[in-house]
Amino acid sequence: MDDWLIAIIKVVGIWVWVLLIAVVMTWVERRGAGLIQDRPGPNRAGPWGLFQPLADGIKLFTKEEIIPTKAQKFLYIIGPALFSLPAFSAYAVVPFGDKIILGGKEIILQVSDVNIGFLYILAIGSMAVYGVILGGWGSTNKYSILGGLRSTAQMVSYEVPLGLALLAVVFVYGTFSLRDISLAQQGTFLGFLPNWGIFKQPLGFILFIVAAYAEANRVPFDLPEAESEIVSGYHTEYGSMRLGLYLFGEYVNLVTISGTIVALYFGSWHLPYIDLGAYLGPISWGIVSFCIFFLKVAFFLWLFVWVRWTLPRFRYDQVMGLGWRGLIPLALFNIFITALFIQLTV
Amino acid sequence: MDLYFWVFASMSVLAGLFTVAAKDALPSAMGLLTVFIALASLYLHLHAPLIAIFQVAIYAGAILILVVFVIMLLMTPGERMGVIQANASYRGLGVLLGLCLIGLIAVGTKGVSDIVSMKAPPEGFGNPSIFGDLFFSNFLLHFEVVSVLLLVALIGGIYLCKKRL
Repeated sequence: MDDWLIAIIKVVGIWVWVLLIAVVMTWVERRGAGLIQDRPGPNRAGPWGLFQPLADGIKLFTKEEIIPTKAQKFLYIIGPALFSLPAFSAYAVVPFGDKIILGGKEIILQVSDVNIGFLYILAIGSMAVYGVILGGWGSTNKYSILGGLRSTAQMVSYEVPLGLALLAVVFVYGTFSLRDISLAQQGTFLGFLPNWGIFKQPLGFILFIVAAYAEANRVPFDLPEAESEIVSGYHTEYGSMRLGLYLFGEYVNLVTISGTIVALYFGSWHLPYIDLGAYLGPISWGIVSFCIFFLKVAFFLWLFVWVRWTLPRFRYDQVMGLGWRGLIPLALFNIFITALFIQLTV
Repeated sequence: MDLYFWVFASMSVLAGLFTVAAKDALPSAMGLLTVFIALASLYLHLHAPLIAIFQVAIYAGAILILVVFVIMLLMTPGERMGVIQANASYRGLGVLLGLCLIGLIAVGTKGVSDIVSMKAPPEGFGNPSIFGDLFFSNFLLHFEVVSVLLLVALIGGIYLCKKRL
């Protein structure tokens, strides 16, 4: 019974937590845009405009739901749900801290430590594209279809370098489990560097983050919703909370991607050079590891905003060219070098 | 009987029927997606999470996406498949192919049950590392044959795409 209770608390708790981060991210995005473009951004609702997401939420929920006459009703309605469902369930295998001991019971701070690990994120992530396709197709609008087509091609193309970059990580750590990978990043590497994935897989990290930006449809890869070319892409015809689900699912994806990057390449809950777990009690270490992990995730969330308001958008052929002619050969090269290194050292 | 099995087995059969009966191309593809996901759930139930995740990532996440991509390129929204479905020769060939497939499965399962006695799966089966060990020890030949087949497909793809070699 206790195990069930803990599992339910973890599932609900982390779900609410991820949603909360996503809500705050909508505010961070707009304030960040203001900061970078030297203007205030939303600053009327509440202190520093902090209640702006709340106002947006109320607006989206109370708006009239319109279904275009020519739209294919079923596909149009199911599209946003299919997009947000994978987004909400992908965080299940990403850790959010080390472990906490409550009442003599050891609880790992992760919803589920399954042996297939991040393969689950890849599989669930590839489901999200169906939401975009159905939304774009069901709207019966040429801009929507163009957006849907673009996103299909883009997401399928960039899944390949993403998977290949992750394959090199498996070579290094010998496991798919994100918790095992996190645990293996303690201590130092070569005597002076923190034992983090980025120092073992520098090229792999760059490949992963570029491919992840493309998978999340973020600038500079936001071709599926390029405003200057195809209005709003696949969600042109959407309004009210259906549009909200698309926009919101994107921010939830950002949280999952940032968590994965931190767990794979940035030492998860480990601080460089110091093992706090040896000094702190079991409960305080649980809380501190959670905070360390969250701070690292927060940095990568900010990086998403930073990049979005700094870089221009690629042209479409440049996006596909970069994926197939740039990233995939580099990813194969990375795998080759990693395999060679492991063969020579082990 | 096992409720979990019945739910997902009936779901995959119903979705499969919908896939062949649907009038629109994209809903039909979504029916196929439901089949894949229901099958993946059944694999999970059989304690084979790796196969389940491959089912989702490769069949649903890659192959079906290509099918959908072709549908989106070649058809317009709302266009019916009635013309294709009404074609008598397509229907006849479909029945023939379906019968062949059922025959193959029947012969296959009967033959297998005669020759092979079921062995207990190795310790910790379903774990990715056990899978890798099996591939590179007991099933190395099969693994290499498949990789050669994929290489041939790759060369064929390049040959078809290049106008001048």
